[in-house]
Amino acid sequence: MALINLTGIQPTEFEVLADDASPSEGATVAVPLARLLEAEEAFFKSAGSVGAIIDTETSYDALAAVADKIAFAVIDFPAFGDGRGFSLAVRLRKDYAFKGEIRAVGPVIPDQALFLLRAGFDTVDAADERKAAFEAALERFPAFYQTDFGGQVSVAHTRHSAEGQRKAS
Amino acid sequence: MYAYDTFDHAMVNARVAEFRDQVERRMTGELTEEEFRPLRLMNGLYLQLHAYMLRVAIPYGTLSADQMRKLAHIARKYDKGYGHFTTRQNIQYNWPKLSETPDILQELADVEMHAVQTSGNCIRNVTTDQFAGATADEVADPRPYAELIRQWSSFHPEFSFLPRKFKIAITGAKTDRAAIKWHDIGLVVKENDEGEIGFEVLAGGGMGRTPVIAKTVRDFLPVQDLLSYLEAMLRVYNEQGRRDNKYKARIKILVEAMGVEEYARQVEAEWEKIRHIPIDVPEEEVARIKAFFAPPPLAVLADDVPAVDELAGKNFIFKAWLANNTGAHKVPGYANVTISLKPHGGIPGDASDEQMDLVADLADTYSQSEIRVSHEQNLILPHVAKKDLPELWQKLDEAGLGTPNAGLLTDIIACPGLDYCSLANTRSIPIAQTITERFDDMKRLMDIGPLKIKISGCINSCGHHHAGHIGILGVDRKGTENYQILLGGSGGEDASKAAILGPGFDEDGIVDAVEKVVAVYLGEREEGEEFLAAYRRLGPDTFKEAVYGAH
Repeated sequence: MALINLTGIQPTEFEVLADDASPSEGATVAVPLARLLEAEEAFFKSAGSVGAIIDTETSYDALAAVADKIAFAVIDFPAFGDGRGFSLAVRLRKDYAFKGEIRAVGPVIPDQALFLLRAGFDTVDAADERKAAFEAALERFPAFYQTDFGGQVSVAHTRHSAEGQRKAS
Repeated sequence: MYAYDTFDHAMVNARVAEFRDQVERRMTGELTEEEFRPLRLMNGLYLQLHAYMLRVAIPYGTLSADQMRKLAHIARKYDKGYGHFTTRQNIQYNWPKLSETPDILQELADVEMHAVQTSGNCIRNVTTDQFAGATADEVADPRPYAELIRQWSSFHPEFSFLPRKFKIAITGAKTDRAAIKWHDIGLVVKENDEGEIGFEVLAGGGMGRTPVIAKTVRDFLPVQDLLSYLEAMLRVYNEQGRRDNKYKARIKILVEAMGVEEYARQVEAEWEKIRHIPIDVPEEEVARIKAFFAPPPLAVLADDVPAVDELAGKNFIFKAWLANNTGAHKVPGYANVTISLKPHGGIPGDASDEQMDLVADLADTYSQSEIRVSHEQNLILPHVAKKDLPELWQKLDEAGLGTPNAGLLTDIIACPGLDYCSLANTRSIPIAQTITERFDDMKRLMDIGPLKIKISGCINSCGHHHAGHIGILGVDRKGTENYQILLGGSGGEDASKAAILGPGFDEDGIVDAVEKVVAVYLGEREEGEEFLAAYRRLGPDTFKEAVYGAH
């Protein structure tokens, strides 16, 4: 697998914690959200860094309990057409001001690279042979029609800024 | 009309390059068909029964003469010399080659057109009143808002993989010609007591196997909150709409399941959180877009034109065309002209490349170079001086575009059906052709008056049969084509669901059944009572008896 870095973040190196295992002291582990919702404070303390594995059935309000305890989030797409993954990332950024890495895993495709970036994802796990296509897709559009949670400002605003007027003329 | 700036141009050109790359990657096998499918659909490219079909967006049904010429050129160069105007104010080409579609998209981009999001589980082309900006009965021209929505919804990072397709319609007039109550979101431009412009917001309408009429979510939404409110509506739907069953994935099912009050509560709660972060466009941007839709400078002319009356007095067909195919303009001395694409015996919504070129030329001469497409699959020339009507009609009539049947029984909406579509159970076009041949008598049609027949070749309801005064639904019955008849639907401000009258018919029987229904109406109507009103007064039984015989 290749790791596609959308934002230039320092990617987290983590291991997925086995179902019944406890995190070793100081380890960086990814844990299914359901387990984190049950976990005691000690669980978070013993691990060095904890990330949540979030499936797309997750209701965004379930994130409230863990958003300030996790260092990173892994959103697991069961299919590339499952658009709930995009809203989950938006919710993390928007409603919980989550600043950590958000990674997309599952069968997302290169043509979604900009959507992922703009919804708030930092990184994507992808097949090696798709790395080039992902990187090409990131360069595809020069401007956007929406202000987003990844920091892009919509052309509706750019058009009326000094810089935008220079570009539009 | 809206004109692209460098940003808009850059965007559609980027899209063309992206699609060209996707087609190449599909042809080399890098993309699987499963992966390519949603990508091509988001560019309006379907795989039909016999070939690919490309659906080109005509945003809110407005296009220029030059854009129409380009559509004619594409029909000639890449297709078989015709195109099909659809119920969502778009145009479909039935025979493009996959390898040529990127070139078609580039030709479209050159005239500020595209096929973005004309299919797929995303926000589709926003539709509106075909007379927007030209009719006296509107609060405000809805098209600037439609353009705002077009831009906001294009390549949306969060809402491009919705549970299902998503259709928004907007009307600025009290008379609803855009069927907004049959849409996922319907918007009605209105003015509040303080004289401010805003929208009534409806949600959860839709056809298909579960017809539902949209319900009001909010009575008055200020203009500046439009996009943040839509974002909240879409987010709640994207998160909670069903994804386990494509037949239950539209927003209508979600709104029915949670109740419109609960849906509205969740939307309002989310909207309160986002309404003050910069999603909405600055006021200058709204003003910029509005300026493109400024009314054309029309000098007021005399409303009575003796030459028009004179020709009407001696030519019944012109008189009928005047009565049915022209409507009041907001400026005295002008009219909006409906060019019927429903010649008796013809294919509803089809136009040849020559016809498209002619309409473009006529638009240059008579209608400020502007053309509209209606959801009823006709073309409109807005802003035509009444004094020009005789000449315009003669030119249309010579080209087979003068059928004076707008709004009458033979102005039929029909889906492409089994002649093209891989989802269809039955053919639709031949039923429309047989009905229009059976009723090929303008005096009789004028006597019958306003009557909307809508035909779908399967339960997906692309022919809007649920909203037909008379709806016809094709079903597969043990391998043979069978047609059910429904009565009492409406797509207007008085929206209603048509109800099935009884058992279905074969393709001859359905035409006889329509004729019997019409006969009952003619026999039972009160003075000045139109078909739909008569049906609502009489109820189904009188019609049932006539169609199926006494028991």
